[in-house]
Amino acid sequence: MSALLTVEGLSVGADSVELVHDLSFTIGPGERVGLIGESGSGKSLTALSLMGLLPEGVVASGTARLGGRDLVGVQEARVKRLRGSELSMVFQEPMTALNPLMRVGAQVAEVMTLHGRSRQDARQRAVELLARVRLPEPAEIARAYPHQLSGGQRQRVMLAIALANEPRLLICDEPTTALDVTVQKQMLELIAEVAPALLFITHDLAVVASVCERVLVMYGGRVVESGPVREVFTHPRHRYTEGLLAASRLTPRGTRLPTISGSVPAAGRFPSGCVFRNRCPHATPACETAPALTGDGHAFACWHPAG
Amino acid sequence: MPSHAGTPPVDATQVDETPADAMIEARDLSRVYRRPRTSLTRPGAVVHALREVSLTVRRGERYGIVGESGSGKSTLLRLLCGLDQPTSGTIRFDGREITGLPERRLRFLRENLQIVFQDPMSSLDPRMRVRDLVAEPLVALGLPAGDRVAELLEAVGLPATAADRYPHQFSGGQRQRIAIARALAPRPKVLVADEPVSALDVSVRGQILNLLADLVDELGLTLVFVSHDLSVVRHVCETVAVMSAGQIVEAGPVDDVWAAPAHPYTRELLEAVPTLEGLL
Repeated sequence: MSALLTVEGLSVGADSVELVHDLSFTIGPGERVGLIGESGSGKSLTALSLMGLLPEGVVASGTARLGGRDLVGVQEARVKRLRGSELSMVFQEPMTALNPLMRVGAQVAEVMTLHGRSRQDARQRAVELLARVRLPEPAEIARAYPHQLSGGQRQRVMLAIALANEPRLLICDEPTTALDVTVQKQMLELIAEVAPALLFITHDLAVVASVCERVLVMYGGRVVESGPVREVFTHPRHRYTEGLLAASRLTPRGTRLPTISGSVPAAGRFPSGCVFRNRCPHATPACETAPALTGDGHAFACWHPAG
Repeated sequence: MPSHAGTPPVDATQVDETPADAMIEARDLSRVYRRPRTSLTRPGAVVHALREVSLTVRRGERYGIVGESGSGKSTLLRLLCGLDQPTSGTIRFDGREITGLPERRLRFLRENLQIVFQDPMSSLDPRMRVRDLVAEPLVALGLPAGDRVAELLEAVGLPATAADRYPHQFSGGQRQRIAIARALAPRPKVLVADEPVSALDVSVRGQILNLLADLVDELGLTLVFVSHDLSVVRHVCETVAVMSAGQIVEAGPVDDVWAAPAHPYTRELLEAVPTLEGLL
C-alpha cells in the first residue's frame, strides 16, 4: 500500500530553539492516525507545518509529501492550492476559527469558490455539506451566524468547511476538547465516519483509542513511540507512554493516583539525549545519548523499555 | 443535550430534617436570569438557570457536582459561594443564613469558604508576585500574613523561592498549586474546586488530585468539587449530585451512582465518556 502522506525528517524551529525534531511517519489512504502529546510536545506545530500555517518566525525543514506533492519548503502559492482542497483542518476552538460576521453557509461556500467553484453551485453544495455533518435543518443553519449556534454545532460547521472540497487528508487538532462529553461522542463518531484519511491530534488517550487505528506518541518535539493503538496502549514500551497511561487511569477513591514526576519543560528546556530522562524513574547515564526510534510496526525510542 | 424539564427535582438531602452536621444546606434554590432584549417591544427571554435545587453538604464530606455546560452547576456554585443571590430559596452555611446578606456581613463566609478556579492562567493576576497572590485573601480580610506564605507554599509542594516570582514563570500544574495555596491562606473550613484539573495535562492531573486529597485529609476540610467528568468525581468524592437543565436529577453515594445510575441522563453521561478500559 503506497502511503498517502509521507513525512520524513520534519523539524520545526524558531530562532535557535528546535521545537519538533526529525519527525518521520506515514499515513495510508483511509487510515486514521492519532498524534498524542501534552501541551508543549510539538503536536500542533506538526499539524500547522503540514498545512503551511506556521506562525511568523517559525520555520519547518525536511519533507512532507501528500500524494506526490511537497507540503514543506514550497512557495505559499503552491501550498495555497492544496490547503482546503487536498488537505484540510478542523481547529480546536470553533468560536475563534469561524468568522463572527459571516453567515455559516457563506463560510462553507467560501472555501469552495476559492478553489474554483461557481458561487451559486457553492452555495447549494454548502447546504448539502451542512446536512452531511448532520446539522438539523441545514438550510436554516446556513443562514445563521456562528454565535447563534451551540459549540457542537459550530464544530460541525468547521467539519463541513474542512470536507467541502473532498480532501484526501483531514487533520483534526483537539476538535472535541471544548465540547461536552455527550456532544464529543457524537462528534467523534461523525469524524470517524466522514474522514477520508485522518491525522487526529489530542492529549486524550481514550479519544484516540475510540477513533484511531494507529498512534504516535509525542514528547518534547519527538515521536517517542508509535504503533497500532491497541498494541501501544496495552503494552507500552516507552516509559513516558507507560506513565501517561498509568496517569490516565483514575483509581478508586482513597488510593494514590500514579503520576509522572515534575512537569513538561518549557520549549527548548528539554534535556539533551532522551527528552524524557529528567522525569523518568528508570533513567541512567546511558540516557544522555538520544535513543533512536526503532522497531517495525510498534516502534519506540527508549534505552530501558518497559515490558 | 436532552431536556429533563418534565422530571421532578431530586431532593439531594433525601431527608426533611437538617442533619446536625450540615456544613452547607441549600433549600429550593432557584435562579432566574433575563436575557438581554432582542426586540424593542418585548422584554428579553427568561432563563431558568436553577430550578428548586436542594442539597446538603455535611462537615468533612467530599461532595461532587457533575453536569455539562448549561446544566446550572456554575450558577449553583456562585450561589453557594455567596457570589450571587438566588431568586428564591435559602442557603445556610455552617448554620448561618447567607441569602440576602450584604457583602459586609458575609465575612464569616469569606473566611471559611475559598475557591480554586478552573483556569489558573486567568485566576492569578499576571502582575502580582506569588507572595502577594497567596497573601491576598489575608490582606483582604485584615489577617496577619506572618510566615503563612512560606508555610502554604511548602504545603502545596512549591519551593520557598517561588514567592518572588510571577505566575507566567510557572507551568499549569504549578500555577494550580499557587491557586490552592491562596485558597487555603485564611484557613477555610470549606474548599470549593471548580473544574480544578480540566485545564491540566494528564501527567500533572494526578499530582493535583493527590495534593487536594492530602490537604483535605490533613486539614479536615469539606470539599465541594465541580466537574464535567464523573470518573474524576468518583476518584475524589464520596457523594455526587448530577445536574441537568437546572435541576439535580440524581444524587447519592458516588459508587452507587456509578455502578447503577438511576436517571437516564446519568446513564447517558457515563456512556459518553470514553474510557481506555472500555475501548481496549
